[in-house]
Amino acid sequence: METLNYPNVQETLYREILDNGLEVIVLPKEGFHKTYATFSTKYGSIDNKFAVGGESPVKVPDGIAHFLEHKMFEEPTGDIFAVFASQGASANAYTSFDRTVYLFSATEQINANLETLINFVQNPYFTDTNVDKEKGIIEQEINMYRDNADWRVYFGLIDALYHNHPVHIDIAGTVESIYQIDKETLYRCYETFYHPSNMLLFVVGGVKADEVFELVRANQTSKTFKPQGDIQRFFDEEPSSVKIPRKVSELPVSLPKVMIGFKEKEVGLEGEALLRQEVETKLMLEALIGPSSKLYQSLYEQDLISDSFGHEFNSSSGYSFSVIGGDTPKPDELIAQIKAVVEAMLKTGIEPAAFERSKRKKIGGYLRMLNSPEAIAGEFTRYRFRDSDMFDVLAFYESCTLEQINARLIEHFDFNQMSVSIVQSPAE
Amino acid sequence: MTQFERGQLERIRLHVMPTKRFKTFAISLFAGLPLEEDNVTPVALIPFVLRRGTASTPETIAFRERLDDLYGAGFGFDVYKRGDAQIVQFRLDVINDRFVSSNVPLLDESITFLGEVFTDPAKERDAFRIKYVDAEKETLRKRLESIVNDKIRYAAERCLEEMCKDEPYRLHPLGKLEEIGEITPTSLYEHYERWQEQAALDLYVVGDTTLEEVTQLVAKAFQLKPGKPAGYSLPDVSHQVGEVKTVVDKMEVNQGKLNMGLRTGVGYADDDYPATLMYNGILGGYPHSKLFLNVREKESLAYYAASRLDGHKGICTIQSGIEIKNYDKAVTIIKEQLESLRQGEITELELDQTKAMIANHLRELQDSAYEMIAYDFNSVLSGNDRSAKQLLEQVQAVTTEDIVRVANRVQLDTVYFLRDRKEA
Repeated sequence: METLNYPNVQETLYREILDNGLEVIVLPKEGFHKTYATFSTKYGSIDNKFAVGGESPVKVPDGIAHFLEHKMFEEPTGDIFAVFASQGASANAYTSFDRTVYLFSATEQINANLETLINFVQNPYFTDTNVDKEKGIIEQEINMYRDNADWRVYFGLIDALYHNHPVHIDIAGTVESIYQIDKETLYRCYETFYHPSNMLLFVVGGVKADEVFELVRANQTSKTFKPQGDIQRFFDEEPSSVKIPRKVSELPVSLPKVMIGFKEKEVGLEGEALLRQEVETKLMLEALIGPSSKLYQSLYEQDLISDSFGHEFNSSSGYSFSVIGGDTPKPDELIAQIKAVVEAMLKTGIEPAAFERSKRKKIGGYLRMLNSPEAIAGEFTRYRFRDSDMFDVLAFYESCTLEQINARLIEHFDFNQMSVSIVQSPAE
Repeated sequence: MTQFERGQLERIRLHVMPTKRFKTFAISLFAGLPLEEDNVTPVALIPFVLRRGTASTPETIAFRERLDDLYGAGFGFDVYKRGDAQIVQFRLDVINDRFVSSNVPLLDESITFLGEVFTDPAKERDAFRIKYVDAEKETLRKRLESIVNDKIRYAAERCLEEMCKDEPYRLHPLGKLEEIGEITPTSLYEHYERWQEQAALDLYVVGDTTLEEVTQLVAKAFQLKPGKPAGYSLPDVSHQVGEVKTVVDKMEVNQGKLNMGLRTGVGYADDDYPATLMYNGILGGYPHSKLFLNVREKESLAYYAASRLDGHKGICTIQSGIEIKNYDKAVTIIKEQLESLRQGEITELELDQTKAMIANHLRELQDSAYEMIAYDFNSVLSGNDRSAKQLLEQVQAVTTEDIVRVANRVQLDTVYFLRDRKEA
């Protein structure tokens, strides 16, 4: 067990990689009543073509990682939610582009709940009947999202940006694709991605580190896992250009929703370099278009944006894009104005005072995030799966310079790399 | 367990919890007035205008920059209803100085900021700035119009609106679209002054501070008019249901939204409140609850099927997203669950699981400054100062008989369905 001290944020982390490859991290939070644990696999919606060792690659139906997440909660003895409930724990799970996370939060019976979490995720139980039954439920989940304008405009944008990369596939798949899923394929995915060496257990809250490690070690030693070769993930060649510059969808909305995306030309960064790029880009976007920027205020005063207006940056080694947008009465006017300001900014660079303020804001936001065990576990895992350390973020924000973000500004904003997604009401 | 220390300064009640557990100071100011037809819209608009600027920083950019300089203090507000009150809540979450090399005391600066926002706004000619009022009227209009974008929320609001047709509770906390137009900078300023004089005011601070320090800072930062704190009046929860209302709306949707509104007849301060929490938990509060198991797991009819309790108003609502053709089937199954609770068909396991989940929630909230504030504010609202620990003990003591008694008081009031435009 190694101890990692982060004096600047007054946190201490304990870490160990077990013999079977499972990485375990514990962050004790003194005075906290709750314990929050996540058990995550580096497996998400983008991992749809893969092989292990020397095997030939297999392509699986869209939405299968999310389907698998749903099915994990069923055990031969019944629904695992019932067990957690009996132990006073509230449990859940989610699937994103690159990971699937199972979690619970509890204030009592922490050991029992930890055992339950580890055991149910390490015990798949798929039958033809229970797989079929899930299809109706997930179909309703997909239909729910189809009616959700925010979700439609976001995925519409990713779909416009990417030709081939599976990031553009809906995480839940489509009604057609989920009906192709069967128990054999589920087991295939499970065997590949739920091996301990592809997983991370993170425990944060009112716990003692050595007790957690003792429990997890004993639990894992009692099980046998076949050694597994490296997982290879296959992605079709992705052109650096965007797929289509503009995508319009129709859904009844009070105002059109617009998102502008910039697709990064160069991808392939990993670890610290990827993290540094993320920090620089987020700072740059905040200074450029955050709520205290001149651009934001001007757009707000012209009634082109509302409180829903915002920005984000989403990156991994295989895809990378920024998103700017919100509700607007005039999508094209909004796009034109943002474009004009960004083009001017490419010549002048970001103002030093705006940069300093954004930096303070980002540092404050980061520290506030550390109040939340849920956010810590989620962010730590996200960064860890990209081979970086969430606790480096603060230092990166502090050391980031104006020159760096101005360089990032010029590198990122290439208008040939832009797509727009709009959701608007159908014409009457 | 740490407790709130209580103080008072003119019309403001002060609630301070000194603790070193968090990296921030969490500050909340609640201002509540009765939910009233004639005032709901201007009162909702007030915080939108207040967040545009103060007398000392009247320009919005400078105002926002001030927040960035406080290490991006998380500043925001909410307008919502609890019981029959319309509540405006301001929040300010700021880093404790010990984590950053700040040359200004951040708690002091934050309370000063909030005091200015609340008592010393940007003005022109004894009224609000017309530019801000006009812009925020548009923002409020957009917010009200956007409710329809989220079909789940829209269906929930519509169900309550139909259910409470003859009560103030039918009003949306953000007011009424048709009344925004007539508001002027002067009329709004008059509402603001009335709000200052009449609203029940509660200021909460959780963090590494003391009641004495907060009292001094508030005295310095808020321009307070003399007076005594106002209280909240208890809503009448004894509503008699006649015939069950059925309402259907049609819209371009892929999925039908089925909502039901129930009257529990039990308020937050009522002795049966813990049993009502249990009733809601067994019915639909959790993934082990009857609605989830029977509507989703057994019949695969829905992805979500749950219930929620507004304890102050004595209303329990059910919400589910279903295929449109399954309406009758879903309504039948949900009604069967209500009946099974009346019949006392509750297993020991359901009882234990639900108690464990509620207990977990009540213990967990102590790890979040804002959740502790929200829980404590229930006491202010209801006049019943039951601590989380006491409520936990009362929930543990609830029996099946208690739940059956509540179940027999519960009356189905309204069935609401949002569906597509195709012919049935």
